[in-house]
Amino acid sequence: MKDKILNTVVGNLIPFIQIFGIYVILHGHLSPGGGFAGGTIIGVSFILYRIVFGKEFSQKKLKFSVLLRFVTIGVCIYGIMKGYIFISGGNDLHFPQPPLGTPGNIMSGGFLLPLNIIVGTVVAVTMYFFYCLFEEGEI
Amino acid sequence: MRKVIAVLITLGITIILLIGSMDLPQFGIEDTPTNNDVTKYYIENATKETGATNIITGVILDYRAFDTFVESSVLFTSAIVVMIVLKKEKSK
Repeated sequence: MKDKILNTVVGNLIPFIQIFGIYVILHGHLSPGGGFAGGTIIGVSFILYRIVFGKEFSQKKLKFSVLLRFVTIGVCIYGIMKGYIFISGGNDLHFPQPPLGTPGNIMSGGFLLPLNIIVGTVVAVTMYFFYCLFEEGEI
Repeated sequence: MRKVIAVLITLGITIILLIGSMDLPQFGIEDTPTNNDVTKYYIENATKETGATNIITGVILDYRAFDTFVESSVLFTSAIVVMIVLKKEKSK
């Protein structure tokens, strides 16, 4: 859409939406929220970007191959991490793992923070893909 | 012929699900799986064992992490399938 007011307002609004989504993901183990909720918020910001700035412009910023790589590598890392934890804890092997820290800090909870980030990435990119495919048939 | 096979498969799945629902606990019984010790254990020990003050995240990403793993795999698979069905071929 070629509307100067809309472009300016949305261009100023999208960073705040994304910061709120990142806040919800990073505080997933401290307060209500988490990977699914925060990923949905970030995906909504992508969709808004696509609606306002058009197909050609957003295809340059959000490349299909890069997004697909994020999702596939993220799912693989999730499986490896959680398999490692279950093997080490379930068999009483006690492999090295990040410390639990004091409850209430952001850098605490061992593997919970990276797992939340991965789930958020997968959800955000999947929402964006679904919108693009149902609306235009291209990503 | 295909319709007959489809009806048979549907009936078979219905019967299997009904047989499975016969083992459900009776309505209003005290010692159902919902009311056993697991809930109490999570409330008392989740923060100590996982380091998360949000117990829900502690449960879905630590105690039942493979459930969440399969959940994100389902999202990923559905995205791939929708892409196969709806994505346009590039015109040359």
